[in-house]
Amino acid sequence: MSGWLVILLMWAVTYPVRLLGLSLGRLDLPPFWLAFLKFVPVSVFAALVMPDVLGSPEWPRRLVAAGVGGALMWRTRNLGLGILGGFAAYWAARLLGV
Amino acid sequence: MSDVSAFWPAFGRGFRVMLPLWPGMVPFAVAYAVTARAGGLSVWETCLMSLTVFAGASQFAAAGQFVAGGLPGVAGALALVGTTFVLNARHMLYGLSLSRQLPLGGWRRLVGAQFLTDEAYGMVIVAGPRDPGGLGVAFLLGAELSLYLVWNAATLLGSLAGAVLPDPAVLGVGVIFPLAFLGLLVPLLDNRVSVLVAVTSGLGAWELGRVLPGGVVVLLAGVSGALLGAWLVTRRAGAQGRA
Repeated sequence: MSGWLVILLMWAVTYPVRLLGLSLGRLDLPPFWLAFLKFVPVSVFAALVMPDVLGSPEWPRRLVAAGVGGALMWRTRNLGLGILGGFAAYWAARLLGV
Repeated sequence: MSDVSAFWPAFGRGFRVMLPLWPGMVPFAVAYAVTARAGGLSVWETCLMSLTVFAGASQFAAAGQFVAGGLPGVAGALALVGTTFVLNARHMLYGLSLSRQLPLGGWRRLVGAQFLTDEAYGMVIVAGPRDPGGLGVAFLLGAELSLYLVWNAATLLGSLAGAVLPDPAVLGVGVIFPLAFLGLLVPLLDNRVSVLVAVTSGLGAWELGRVLPGGVVVLLAGVSGALLGAWLVTRRAGAQGRA
């Protein structure tokens, strides 16, 4: 099959899923499902972070980065600073042979 | 958006809130483009995928498959499209969560849906409410298009110039994404249930990540964790109601 056709089919299964979620905002939901949606960010962010740190082949360095970055963000509530500090810690650990 | 003069400042703030993520995006987009070109896609096909599908993990999966076996036949293409669907099904969760805070109608919903990503969702749901203008469509579009712009510019660069940047692993930029999501997570951990949900979901994702691709892991662990949280708080509320 030609490349562009495969690409358009990939788009055809991605876009409607994104649209569907955004289209269900006005549903009247029972309290359980409202609570469910409130926990989605916590749950999703944790699921995005943990495998990327602990499941990485270079997990010791990434653990150092997450520790330093997380602590910085906890103290300062500044995302940019946390990323920068965490990245610096990652490189420090890498150069030190961790 | 009745007030057009308020649109661009909020758009700009949303755009700028994604800047810390740019260094993490560029090498990955270049690497994707180089892989896609090696797999036999033309420059415009390589760019077309970034312009339409706009989902890093499934773009990498597709490009890798092209490299392994060339452009697929019908069966291979359908398998690839199926993989893309499964990898990107998590976006429904983002739309669902976002639309509770920010109801979108008409063209705003159609446009907002095209550019939705993990990063934009995360940043908008956390930083949006703290924006001077509140969580609004302008802020959302600014954040979404910030990533869209850099992802597509870097795709074009990579597909024309080849490996202009070393492998993301050499640069170490792979750590930027988990750091960003960690930064989004930290302020949300302000009560015991949230901490419990985060630990459960994170450990579950780590375990699932050994056998399943990342996009599926986020969907499964994300849904399970949120179910746990909902069960814990509504059970407690129910107990108080009976007391």
